[in-house]
Amino acid sequence: MTERVIPRKEVLIESSVPGGGVPPASMDELRRQIRERETRVRVRTRELERKTRELLAANRDLERAIAERKRAGDRLRRSEALLAEAQRLSSTGTFSWNVATDEITWSEQLYRIYELEVGMPVTVERIRSRVHPEDVSLIEKMRRAAREQRGDAGFEWQYRLLMPDRSIKYLHAVAHPTRDRDGRLEYIAVVQDVTERRLAEEALDKSRSELARVARASSLGVLTASIAHEVNQPLSGIVTNASTCLRMLAADPPDVDGARETALRMIRDGRRAADVIARLRALFGKEDAVTESVDLNSAVREVIALVASELWRNRVVVRTELADDLGPVTGDRIQLQQVILNLIRNASDAMCGVEDRPRQLALRTDRVAGDRVRLSVQDAGVGLDPESSRRLFEAFYTTKRGGMGIGLSVSRSIIEGHRGDLCATPNDGPGATFSFSIPCGSRA
Amino acid sequence: MIPAPPLVAVVDDDESVRESLPDLLRQFGYAVRAFSSAEEFLASDDLARTDCLLLDVAMPGMTGPDLQRELTRRRQQIPVVFITAHRDRIIRRRLLELGAVDCLFKPFSEGALRVAVEAAIRGEVAASLLLPAGTY
Repeated sequence: MTERVIPRKEVLIESSVPGGGVPPASMDELRRQIRERETRVRVRTRELERKTRELLAANRDLERAIAERKRAGDRLRRSEALLAEAQRLSSTGTFSWNVATDEITWSEQLYRIYELEVGMPVTVERIRSRVHPEDVSLIEKMRRAAREQRGDAGFEWQYRLLMPDRSIKYLHAVAHPTRDRDGRLEYIAVVQDVTERRLAEEALDKSRSELARVARASSLGVLTASIAHEVNQPLSGIVTNASTCLRMLAADPPDVDGARETALRMIRDGRRAADVIARLRALFGKEDAVTESVDLNSAVREVIALVASELWRNRVVVRTELADDLGPVTGDRIQLQQVILNLIRNASDAMCGVEDRPRQLALRTDRVAGDRVRLSVQDAGVGLDPESSRRLFEAFYTTKRGGMGIGLSVSRSIIEGHRGDLCATPNDGPGATFSFSIPCGSRA
Repeated sequence: MIPAPPLVAVVDDDESVRESLPDLLRQFGYAVRAFSSAEEFLASDDLARTDCLLLDVAMPGMTGPDLQRELTRRRQQIPVVFITAHRDRIIRRRLLELGAVDCLFKPFSEGALRVAVEAAIRGEVAASLLLPAGTY
């Protein structure tokens, strides 16, 4: 029986072992071979299991990566949507401008601000067609300056759009230079539609100046009335005494003692009236002017900051050329600033009817001979005719509608109080230049 | 017997007015008493004898218009001519409407003073309402 079984086993084993080689010499040999093959199979199986695990892990990583990517995509879309919404809510658009290629890319909101169809190619011509005609030269100037830009200073400017329905939009732009991949100059800019804010500011400014005017007028009225009251009292005494005096002298016989008495009273009341005037002079005079060291450049900058919105409203472009080596002057800062303010306002007023050229206002400071410091205010306005040149500094002389004719005469007396002088000269081109110079040294 | 001259009372806190005005009024022939406040006048014995009151508008304490109201309340019918250094036509108009004979702005002329005082003593009321204010 045993003999019969063995060959079958052999056949079975032979057939199960591919390329099975030499028939086993014995049962032991056969068992050894079987064990060996079983071991091999186990090893292979473990290898397969390991590979499978690795593949599964890789698959899981891949799935995670895909999910992550999808989330990133979602986040990007969400942040793009948020950005677009933020631009819409804040009325802020962005653009990039490649200076070399003149390629301009706008954000959707910028198209909406310009009221152009989103996605249409942006060209300089198309932009110019929307910019307010009076601001086109400003935009050209900005473009030129941007092209010639060296270093990494940014630009900030304000301009207007004139829409097809004739409405005006006020825009505030800030641009920063950067470099594209090829190292070419490119600007990234934000443009904010500040129309509403501007209109609100204008309304506020208008009511503020109206309030100031009313306050000035009413305080002037109250002041005038109280001065009149103070002066009228002694004048009344003088007039009454004079009447009495004449009557006493005309009597028959004349009452000379009485007349002398009333004449003395007239002298006393006359002195009283003079005292009132002296008190007024003390109140409004220059006795309590403050003397301090004043940096004229910073005084100028403060005044510009004060009137910036007024100048912007009058479409006046301010250029400042302030000398570095100016050195301090000694004087009353507030008084000097009143003069500067007055000269700037006059320059702005002189240009209010100018439409055919930029309303340029140049403020310069420099040192001049004799250790003096000079400030000049140059406008491109109506200029000076000979008659006004002669009378310019007279009190109550004015060429302006609604002008009091006080500004320049007060300005001149302030400058003279600083041992300086104030003068006006016509420009070679349109407009006039007003300038004052004061000594650097201490005030007398 | 010569009748006693009409009595004019001057009420003004300003001393130079109290000094000068009575002298001129005496030149016109009136008897004059001067008082530095409305209260002083109200307390005086001359109240009942006064034919014309020259009254300052703005005074510390009781003002001119206050005194006028007080006199009306006491049924003392004394003709009042206001004098004021405050040239305000609206106030003048109101004072005239309240029954003053006139309101003179300081400094006023001898002529304007004389016309107003005479009108007051004759018992005319507010004749100058018809004249534009300030035409003295």
